[in-house]
Amino acid sequence: MLNKPNSKKSLLVAIDRNRIFILFTIVFLFMALFAPRFFNVFNLTTIMRTSAMNATVAIGFTVILIIGQLDLSIGTIITFTAIIGLGLKEYIGFGGSIPVAIIAGGLIGLINGLLVAKAKINSFIVTLGMMTALQGAIYTFTGGNSVSLSTPDAFAVSDWLALMIFPLVTPRVIITLVLIAASAIFMKRTRIGRNFYMVGGNRQTAWLAGIDTDKYTIAAFIMSGVTAGIGGVLFAMESAAATLNMGNSSLMYVISAAIIGGTAMSGGKGGIFKTFVAILMLDVLYNGIILFGLGNEVKIFIAGIILASVVLYEAYVSYKHEKVIGQRPELMKELEVQNQA
Amino acid sequence: MEGTEVLEKKQQNSPGDDIRTTNYNILGKIFHGAGIYAVAALFLVAGIILQALGVINNFLTAQNMLNIVDAVSMLGIVAVGMAFVTYSGHYADMSVPTTMALTGIIAVQMLQYGFFPAIAAAVAAGLLIGLINAVAIGKFKANPIIWTLAVNYVTLGVIRLVWVNKQIYPDMIAKSQWASDVFDNIYRFRFFNKIGLPVVYMIILVILLNFIMKKTKFGQQLKITGAARKASEFSGVNVERVIGLSFVICALTATLGGLTVTSLSRVGAYYNGAGYDFKAVTAIVIGGMTLAGGRGSIIGVLGGVLIIGLMNNIMTLLGVGTFSQDMIRGIIFIVVVGINAKSLRTLGRDDA
Amino acid sequence: MNSNDIGIALSMQGVSKRFPGTLAVDNVDFDVRAGEVHALIGENGAGKSTLMKIIAGSFNDYTGKIFIGSRETELHSPVHSKKNGIEMIYQELSLALPLSISENVLVGRLPKKGIFLDKEKIYKETKRCLKMVGMEHLDPDIEIEEISQHESQLVEIGKALGNNPCILVMDEPTSALSREEVERLFEIIRSLKKRGLAIIYISHHLPEIFEIADRVTVMRDGKKIDTRDIGSVTSEELVQMMVGQTVKDFYHHESHAQSEQRLRVENLSRYGFFHNVSFEAYKGEVLGICGLSGAGRSELARVLVGLDDRNGGRVFLDDKEIKPKNMAHALKEGIAYLTENRKTEGLALRLNVKENILAGIIPELVYRGVYHEADGFPKMNELIDELSIYPPDPERIVGNLSGGNQQKVLLAKWMACDPKVLILDEPTRGVDIGAKMTIHESIEQLAKNGSTIILISSDLPELVSLSNRVLIMRQGHLIHEMEHSGCSEESVLLAANGEGIC
Repeated sequence: MLNKPNSKKSLLVAIDRNRIFILFTIVFLFMALFAPRFFNVFNLTTIMRTSAMNATVAIGFTVILIIGQLDLSIGTIITFTAIIGLGLKEYIGFGGSIPVAIIAGGLIGLINGLLVAKAKINSFIVTLGMMTALQGAIYTFTGGNSVSLSTPDAFAVSDWLALMIFPLVTPRVIITLVLIAASAIFMKRTRIGRNFYMVGGNRQTAWLAGIDTDKYTIAAFIMSGVTAGIGGVLFAMESAAATLNMGNSSLMYVISAAIIGGTAMSGGKGGIFKTFVAILMLDVLYNGIILFGLGNEVKIFIAGIILASVVLYEAYVSYKHEKVIGQRPELMKELEVQNQA
Repeated sequence: MEGTEVLEKKQQNSPGDDIRTTNYNILGKIFHGAGIYAVAALFLVAGIILQALGVINNFLTAQNMLNIVDAVSMLGIVAVGMAFVTYSGHYADMSVPTTMALTGIIAVQMLQYGFFPAIAAAVAAGLLIGLINAVAIGKFKANPIIWTLAVNYVTLGVIRLVWVNKQIYPDMIAKSQWASDVFDNIYRFRFFNKIGLPVVYMIILVILLNFIMKKTKFGQQLKITGAARKASEFSGVNVERVIGLSFVICALTATLGGLTVTSLSRVGAYYNGAGYDFKAVTAIVIGGMTLAGGRGSIIGVLGGVLIIGLMNNIMTLLGVGTFSQDMIRGIIFIVVVGINAKSLRTLGRDDA
Repeated sequence: MNSNDIGIALSMQGVSKRFPGTLAVDNVDFDVRAGEVHALIGENGAGKSTLMKIIAGSFNDYTGKIFIGSRETELHSPVHSKKNGIEMIYQELSLALPLSISENVLVGRLPKKGIFLDKEKIYKETKRCLKMVGMEHLDPDIEIEEISQHESQLVEIGKALGNNPCILVMDEPTSALSREEVERLFEIIRSLKKRGLAIIYISHHLPEIFEIADRVTVMRDGKKIDTRDIGSVTSEELVQMMVGQTVKDFYHHESHAQSEQRLRVENLSRYGFFHNVSFEAYKGEVLGICGLSGAGRSELARVLVGLDDRNGGRVFLDDKEIKPKNMAHALKEGIAYLTENRKTEGLALRLNVKENILAGIIPELVYRGVYHEADGFPKMNELIDELSIYPPDPERIVGNLSGGNQQKVLLAKWMACDPKVLILDEPTRGVDIGAKMTIHESIEQLAKNGSTIILISSDLPELVSLSNRVLIMRQGHLIHEMEHSGCSEESVLLAANGEGIC
């Protein structure tokens, strides 16, 4: 009686829900048609390679948003773990340094998570403090110098990671895709994954249903730390160097992608795969801008405009929605009848 | 005064039915309000002890105290303005860094028409950003952090598009030597050769904004809006305007900060103001203002700014490197906030 | 009445729970049998919510013994309670809005096939749960935020039933339901009873209890007063047990209506919410508005005070046309609105009594640009006395007060404004009888002083006894007007349901 399906409305909902795929297609087609030297294997491989780091980092960050928190420290975790991964190689080899770096990322996430879940401090503050502290740590440990490796075996690893196995596919891209696929399926198709959504959607409900909300919050921060670590270490290994600001732009990049992809800051909504497509879309866009011969400044400007438009659009939609909540369909019908008469 | 008499009588009428508020007496209130200055005093004492032990020198001198205030004055200017955003329950204004950069660079550019047009143009630019934030967040309820981050990026893009990787220098552009000198003195002028102008700006702003927050209709309505937006709207507060105004105040103090920073560096560039967003949040939160909104004060924020200054100064005197200072500052930040959150909870208040 | 008495499903012996400063539940013995509805009543702050939360496993530091069947158990977490077959239905919605119906209904027990979720089973199981509450037409995959509040309430009940509980605790489950839906819910409860469930039913609404309960337990000040069979008790006795003293019939009416017109509304519409509403109200009059939830009563009030835009019509206050753009504007004109949602729209729970009471008159306390809070103290203290807000401490955080006292603070906020027209939307919902009496007295006093009161209420005895006239709204239309002399609870209710009017 009350809930007759409204086909026009549900079509709009469907479009909105899948907007990132539509956006991606539009951007991709535009670049393929108009951008010079865009649509070729080499360039598309470049796009896949450049997107790999942020795509990995975005996995954990999306989970953080889904659970209704924020992690501002991912940028510095990327740099921190990259420096550990390369810096310790001299002493314990990649076999030791990579796990140590990734575990370090996880430990940072654990600290963030404990402070948020157990000490009950706002995640904005916790991760802001963590960001400041890590920035200091990075500079203290390195003395302000980038870390780079120039041994043959390091170059060998670097070359292997960038090896084009198939068109568009290098080992590092494969690792990224496997991670994304695994975590996307985990979040979508398993009970534990859905519980993250429930904790973000309504903490109280989740707790009453016997879901340990603190544990899930901590787990989300650990995931964020670990994926930031993996992203950072792999990127550094492929370029055989870790600069002290390599993670700086990632925070903005990943937040933009998650939001454009439809993950809500308020929690309980969104998905890893959508964030990934959004990352790809941004990279296609940036790549195209450069191919058009436009500079970095255009890229920054357009990135800002896109994010601002999406945020404003979402705010405007819910602003409009608020005005019609509770509207009685039969009264609207009555109005139509009156107007026709 | 009649009101307070009645109030006291009433408190006697309800003897000890609940531990929470009966122990919350005037003394406790003073301590709670001064809490952040107690921490500042601790740092001061720590500095004095370190000096007495001979670990550091020249801590407790008038000159050093002035240096401390001088060093944090620009942060203070930005933080007391951004505090309004925090107080309104909207966390922080992340567009502050590029607001500072943009207003600075516009001022330098407009110096070719003279000093006052330059200032007017800068203020207009700051006001514009403030108004954009006001509409998006106040009216359409956009998420404040993400929205201001986006605005920060757009503004950065605008600066870099218009002044394509160019740095512009006031002394080369200014219409007259006078205009260039005056602009230079926005930061450099010193009263009695000692007290810098930024310190004066900060003190004036603290007095003015503290008055606005505690003693005006806007301030009181902002408090209720920060604590409960919906209830405030249903109490006849024009919440859209109140929230919008807090973002405008923030943008205007950021403009002053931008002019000062640009005057200091003698160059208009996109990176002027970088880092001021997070630094200001740190000061605000250490100063006892909680992100939940409606709680804290400008005086407290000033305390937070001074603590950061003391902390930096002591660490520098100790010979701690700039980068290690960052690390320690981050840790102290979390610890202070954690303690604050815990004390609020034991007071029977909600989380920070 | 307890013909199908199978045995004790849950019993509590000497259970206590202490909060800082108060003993919320004090040495309570309580039991519920399988196959019965056991009502739990008491004023706000009597401890029944706390008792319920103990059963739900929200506390791990209660004292005393709890038996499930004959086995002693500790209910120290929600998981423990669930394992013992206890399910709760909360007064406030506890669903996750951005998530789908199926995920909400099956939270914590989503069926799995191997390590992955079993989509087919999820669909079927959700449908089964929805069917129990007559909501099987809902698509399990749509999000909660897309369905109405009534539907959500029923989905929540379906969620609890879906867990096949042995013991079901319901806290005011009917507060957001329409009359038809309440009937449906009672049908469900009766069938559950037949299947041998033990049901604990918490309500303020005595007629409901007489309709559905087998036994009733009254609590006051954290203590159990008595448990009685429903057949051996009258509502007067129950009220007496709840309040602790004999109450006179507190519904008495005294008309203060004057002949001078105060408010005139002509053809006011907000499309989709209410259409072409016209009425007038006089000085000193209490004008009741009755209607089922969703009839457009609150929406009408919101347009009158400028919270929502109108699509057509005119409003005259003292013969001057007003078009309030927002609530601030309406207040200036002299119309105030007390919201039905005390906690979300009414009060700033984190601020204190003083700041809440003065919130509406901030502009009045500004003198030469400076806000003089102290100027409002005399008025504030007067109101605290008049409404006997307890504790009478202006510095007390409102969130720590009991529901009744919170409601008094909310009313005090609007009395401080001294409006010409005060719209009260469910002014006594969820408050105890003591607070209710105080609020009714204040309403009468306001009318006596010449204010016009528009009283929107689902509490029929309250509406009928306080109002000079009652307007009936149904499905967005104003369909009828009744004089005080002509209305009784039955006639008003029938009218609101669209019956009994020729």
